Amino acid sequence: MKTLSHTVWRMGALGATLVVATAGATLAQDKALTIGLTADPSHLYPLAGEELSSNIMYYHLYDPLVARTAELEFVPGLAESWETVNDTTWRFKLREGVTFHNGNAFTAADVVFTVEKARASIRPDLVANIASATAIDDLTVEITTPTPYAVLPNDLAELLILDEEYTTATGDEQMDLKPMGTGPYKLEEWIKEERLVLSAFDAYWGGAPKIKTVTFRPITNPATRTAALLTGEVDVVQDLAVRDVDRVRNESGFEVITRPSLLNVVLAMDTRPESPTIEGPNPMVDQRVREAIARAIDVDAINKIVMNGLATPSTQFVPASHLGYVDGMDFRQMYPVDIEKAKALMAEAGFPDGFTMTLDATNNRYVNDAQIAQALASMLAKINVTLNLNIMPKSNFWGYIRVPSDNSSFIMSGWDVPAGDAGSMYAALFYSRDKKEGYGQVNRSSYSNPEVDALIDKADATPDVAERDAILQEATKLLMADIPMIPVHYEQDIYGVRDGVKLTPRTDKFLSAFEMDIE
Amino acid sequence: MLGYLLKRLIQMLLVLWIVSLVVFLMMSFTGDPVFMIVPIDATDAEIAQARRILGLDESLPVQYWIFISSLLQGDFGQSYVFRQPAMTLILERMPATIEMVVVAMVLAVVVAIPLGVYAGANPNGRLSRMIMAGSLLGISLPGFWVGMVLIYLFAVHWGIFPSSGRGDTAEVFGLRLSLATWDGWHHIALPAITLSLGTMAILLRMTRAGMMEVARQDYMKFARAKGATRHDVLYKHGLKNALIPVVTIFGLQLGDLIAFATITETIFSWPGMGKLLIDSIYRADRPVIVVYLMLVALIFVVINFLVDIVYTLIDPRITLK
Repeated sequence: MKTLSHTVWRMGALGATLVVATAGATLAQDKALTIGLTADPSHLYPLAGEELSSNIMYYHLYDPLVARTAELEFVPGLAESWETVNDTTWRFKLREGVTFHNGNAFTAADVVFTVEKARASIRPDLVANIASATAIDDLTVEITTPTPYAVLPNDLAELLILDEEYTTATGDEQMDLKPMGTGPYKLEEWIKEERLVLSAFDAYWGGAPKIKTVTFRPITNPATRTAALLTGEVDVVQDLAVRDVDRVRNESGFEVITRPSLLNVVLAMDTRPESPTIEGPNPMVDQRVREAIARAIDVDAINKIVMNGLATPSTQFVPASHLGYVDGMDFRQMYPVDIEKAKALMAEAGFPDGFTMTLDATNNRYVNDAQIAQALASMLAKINVTLNLNIMPKSNFWGYIRVPSDNSSFIMSGWDVPAGDAGSMYAALFYSRDKKEGYGQVNRSSYSNPEVDALIDKADATPDVAERDAILQEATKLLMADIPMIPVHYEQDIYGVRDGVKLTPRTDKFLSAFEMDIE
Repeated sequence: MLGYLLKRLIQMLLVLWIVSLVVFLMMSFTGDPVFMIVPIDATDAEIAQARRILGLDESLPVQYWIFISSLLQGDFGQSYVFRQPAMTLILERMPATIEMVVVAMVLAVVVAIPLGVYAGANPNGRLSRMIMAGSLLGISLPGFWVGMVLIYLFAVHWGIFPSSGRGDTAEVFGLRLSLATWDGWHHIALPAITLSLGTMAILLRMTRAGMMEVARQDYMKFARAKGATRHDVLYKHGLKNALIPVVTIFGLQLGDLIAFATITETIFSWPGMGKLLIDSIYRADRPVIVVYLMLVALIFVVINFLVDIVYTLIDPRITLK
C-alpha cells in the first residue's frame, strides 16, 4: 500500500507540473494567485470577531495606524509618525492623500470614529488601553491612555481603520459582506465556503500590489488541500498536514516552507492550597513539586514522537522577538529532564509517593493536542504523579477552564502575543486575581506573587519602551524561577507552495498577498 | 384529501416545535458560545458586553421565548459567529447541496434499479452474484475513504477530474447552479459518485429482494403465458409491485443526504450546507443549529408526504386518509 500510494503521488506531480507550466505563461502579464486556506473567513468586518481566516482578510482590506511587519517590527502604517506629548498622550501624524476603496479621503475623524465604534462592539479589548481619541486637525490625532503605556503603537497594529461615512451608512450586518478599507486589496467576490476573490487596489498608498488577483479557497480537509496543491488547483496551501510534508518535499515543482509560530503551548499548575481534582492539600503549592513536574516532562521526546519534529521547544513564556525576553535564558537548560532529581524534589517536598490529579486539554485546538496530553500522562507517571486525562472539544473547553477555574488543577492551553510584548501576557496570566480590573483575568494557576505584581504595575506605568523591556525581563526571571507554568513548545506553521511563488511566512500567520510575488 | 393535508400540517408543526425545544435543551450542555467569540484574555466586562450584544445575557427560558416569538414573526435569529441571519446562511449554501444530492440520487436510481431487477430475476447468475458482491462493497465502504481514493486516482493520478470545489456556476431562475456549466459538471462528478454509492447499494438490494418475491407470484407466470415479453413482465408487472419499499427507502435516503452530506462536502470542499452544521456544532452556534435541524425536519416531513402520494400512484389500492 505504501509503495502504491507513493507512485500515485509521483505520477500526480508529473500531471501537476504540466498544469503549472501552462498556467505560468498566462500569469506573466497579470499575476494571479490561488491560496488554499483551512477555513472560510467568518467575517470581513474587523469589529465583528476574530479568527485566523478573517484576520488574513482584514489585513488585505484594511490598514492599521501602525503596521506590523512579517518579523514583528512595528512601523508606520496609516500614521506616518508619532510622538509622545506627555506620559499618557500620544500624537499621531496621519499619512496624507490616502483614500478608501470608494474614493473617500482618510482623515483623523475616521480614526476617532473607529475607536468609538470598537468600544461599543464585541471587540472592546482592541481599545482597552485607549482613554480617548481626539482629532486635532484633519491629519493629526491625539490618543490618550488611562495610564502611561509604552506599547500603545503595538496595540494599534490590531485596530483597523474604518471609513466613518461608509460604515455608518452600511451598518454592522452588511459591513461583513461589503467591506471598505484603505488596504492593498478590495473585495471582488465572496461566495461563502467556495471562494473569496480580491483584486489589487492600484491606488494603494504603499504602492500598487504586484499580484493583481488573489483567490482564497477554503479547503478544510488536510488531504484534499495537499491534493489541490499537487494538481495545480491552488498555488499555496496553509497548514500543510504534517504527514504530507515529506511527500510534498520530495515532489519536484513544490516546496515546503516552515517557521515556528508564536503560539506557545503552556501547562498551568494550580497553586491554591486546595485544588479541585486533588485530594488533600495541593502539593503544587510547593515550588519544588512544580520543578519536579517540569523536570519529568521530556519536551524533546514529545517533539520527536508526537510532533514529527515539527515543533520548537520553548525557552521562555514569550519568543525571543518580544519585549521581556531574557537573552540566553532557557527553561530547558534550567530544568533539564532528570527523573532522579525530580523524585528527590518530590520527596523533599513531602510527597515521595506522588499524588493524583486531572489534566484538562483540548482535542481539536492545537496540533496533536490529545496525543501530547497522553504523552504527559506517561511522563509524569515516572515520578508517581497519576494524571487523569479530561479531554474535550474547544467549544466546551474555554468555558470549563475559565477563571476562577473551579474544575481544574492542571491545564494545557496555548498562548500567543502578536503584539510582541510579554507584558499583556504576564498581566493576564500571572498577576494576582481580583486585585485590579483587567489584570489576572486568565490567571489559571491562581498564582500570586507580590513581586511579580509590582513589576507588572511598574512596566505598565512607564512610557519608555526600553525601561518596560528591562522591567519585564526582571519579571521573566522571577517567573522562570518560580514556575507557575511550564512552557512546552511552539507549533510550526507549515506551508506548501508551488515553485515560482515567493512566500515569506509571517510570524503572526497572517498570509499576505501584498508581500508575495510570482516569478 | 384535505383532512389528510391538515393532519399532516399539524403533525409537522408539532415536530418542528419539539425539534426546537430539544435543540435548545441540548445546546445548554455543549459549552457557552460566548467563549468561542471573545478573545481568550477577555475581561469580565468585555465578556458581559459580548453577552449583551449576542442576547446571551438572558436566562435560557427567556432566550427560548424570544426565539419562538420572533420565529412567529418570520425572524429566525442571528448566528453568534457570523452575525448574519441564520436562515440566510443556510439558504445561500442550500443549492450546492441539493444539486449534488439530486445528481447522486439520479445516478443511484439509474444504476440500482436495472441492476436490481436483473439480479432479482436471475438470482443464480454469475453476473448477479458479482452485482451483489459489488453492492456489499458499496454499503460497507465509508464515504470519506471512497472520496479520498477517488481524489487520489482521478484528480492526482490521472488528472481527469479536479480534486475539490464547485467550479463555474451559472444563474438559473436566480439560483447559482453548477449543472448549468460544463466546468460545473466536471466538478460535481466525483462528489456525486461518492455520495451515491451507499444509496445505490441499498436501493439495489431492496429492488432485488422485492423482485425475487414478486417473481414467485402467479400473476407473473400468467402474464408471461398471456404472451407478454420478458422485459414487459419484469418492468411493468414485476417492478411496479416490488417498488413500494424501494420508494420508501429512496425518500428516507434523499432526506438523509440533503441534511447530512457533511462528510462528502468536507472532503471535496463542496460549499454546501452540511459543513455549516458541523462548523456550527464546533462553535456552539445555537441559532444556526436550531434553524438547520428544523429545516431538516421540514424536509423529511415534505419528502415523506411526497412518498405517500407516490404510493397511491404506484398502487391504486392505497388511499390517503
